[in-house]
Amino acid sequence: MNAIEVRDLRRVFRATIGTIRRRTKEVVAVDGISFDVRDGELFGLLGPNGAGKTTTVKMLTTLLIPTGGTATILGHDVVQGAGSIRPRIGFIFGGERGLYWRLSAKDNLRYFADLYHMDPDIAKRRLPELLELVGLTGREDEKVEGYSRGMRQRLHVARCLLHDPQVLFLDEPTMGLDPVGARELRQVIQNMVSQDKTVFLTTHYMFEADALCERVAVINHGQIVALDSPEGLKGHVEDLSVIEVEVFGIAPAMVDALRQMADVDTVSVEDRDQKQSLRIHSPLGSAIVPQIMQRLDGNGARVGRVTVREPTLEDAYVRLVGGEV
Amino acid sequence: MIANLRVIRTTFELDLKQQAVDLFMIFGVVIQPLLIAIMAIYMLSERDASRGIYVVVGSGMTGLWTSLLFRGAFNINAERFMGTLEGIVASPSALATVVIGKTLASVTLSLLSMIFSYGLASLVFRLPLSVAQPVPFLLSLLVMVPTFIAFGLLISPLMAVNLSLSGWVNALEYPMYILGGFLFPILLLPGWSNPLSYVLAPYWAARVLHATSSGVATPADVLLSWAMMLLLGILYIAASYRLFKVVLRRARVDATLSLM
Repeated sequence: MNAIEVRDLRRVFRATIGTIRRRTKEVVAVDGISFDVRDGELFGLLGPNGAGKTTTVKMLTTLLIPTGGTATILGHDVVQGAGSIRPRIGFIFGGERGLYWRLSAKDNLRYFADLYHMDPDIAKRRLPELLELVGLTGREDEKVEGYSRGMRQRLHVARCLLHDPQVLFLDEPTMGLDPVGARELRQVIQNMVSQDKTVFLTTHYMFEADALCERVAVINHGQIVALDSPEGLKGHVEDLSVIEVEVFGIAPAMVDALRQMADVDTVSVEDRDQKQSLRIHSPLGSAIVPQIMQRLDGNGARVGRVTVREPTLEDAYVRLVGGEV
Repeated sequence: MIANLRVIRTTFELDLKQQAVDLFMIFGVVIQPLLIAIMAIYMLSERDASRGIYVVVGSGMTGLWTSLLFRGAFNINAERFMGTLEGIVASPSALATVVIGKTLASVTLSLLSMIFSYGLASLVFRLPLSVAQPVPFLLSLLVMVPTFIAFGLLISPLMAVNLSLSGWVNALEYPMYILGGFLFPILLLPGWSNPLSYVLAPYWAARVLHATSSGVATPADVLLSWAMMLLLGILYIAASYRLFKVVLRRARVDATLSLM
């Protein structure tokens, strides 16, 4: 059985621009996406910033009404059956907001337990268990405003699990966490699946999707460009090699020029302090390096280290989103 | 039903905790009514010392209105800014139950305004401050609380319809002091403005509290004010029920539940 069914889901945002001559501009955030998530599956939605991940989650959690298409959670429509869905889902949106900072963690959880109409005895028993699970035991009486970012994110997890939901939506839950905090949170997410919960995870970290998800949908410009297991996605770059070039102060026009080269599949740029790292996908492997160097030298770019390597899952993702990372 | 009452109780308790450390609320509930009371006492002292109780009730009403208006206007928007509105809307509880709990907390805090004003006038200015008809006065206070909660229920979604509307809150504060007859009778105002006062529950509350505290209330006056407060309260609730539906629907269409 499918916990989540999405068909041709679409969401358009309208923004007004101009002061005297006001015009309405339409932005398509989600453009007709379809997919299913099986009961008990950990499903990932992967994409760059602005690809439509959060908009998708907000529609699935009944917080946003779709412009078109349908979505059902546990058999209930997200628009007509919102009241039936809400007690059975939990969600975390990345970031620190969503909690009462002037209250303690215990008061926050107590309040959400009441909002979810939990039996007070069950809530009383569950609170210490959850605080233990997320490592906040002993800190529960402190105000949230004194918590670190990681502690707040863990409190979000406790709040999300409080009413024992069947389906969990986690929107970039490890965003901004330090590596240890992120690893601990991933462990908690894995434990959720072992408790037969369905988890819908959005992230822009490929390794996170690879480590956690059974299947991953890659979304870009509001459309799903691939949906497969992590292993299946790696198959998208079997024919390519990756050339990484360190450059100092490369102009955007130069990057575009590289993209126009024959036998160059994608080019992405990552800023690293004073220098940039160019990642070029090509089926020619090291044979294309002289052409690349010639093109860079001809434009006066200062070039550092050059390496050629086999592609990884992250490279598959980069190829699927056309270098927009 | 019990679950909803629990939501109201917990919201009330936790909102009080948060408001108690909110400097703006402390100003609105304690400092501002005291300033207004001092000003009014000096203005009226030359005329009639027995007007002290009128000043206490009137300045208490100003504190009540300021708290109700500002908290009512920002009840939903504050949750939106904190990012907690989505958590509330996505829960099985109705947003109105949360607003009831918050408004109850505001009204409770505001009643403190009257106590502060009373203490100031009696201890510092040594004015005679006996309530002439204490039983009808206290019963009127009891009728006033649910009516004011209903008024808060109306204000909150109204201000949440559009973020820019909340900018008008400041403009609404002082007109109610005048139209509500808090510090002087509305008979001093031009006749055309009186119907505006009659559709405002705070006017009927101020009218009955002034009359019972000064000892000029007839049973008919008291019953009329109570009936009007209850009638207006029911109308406010009916209007707010529709408003909440419209606001939540619009927020889900316009993506304004959060500031994403």
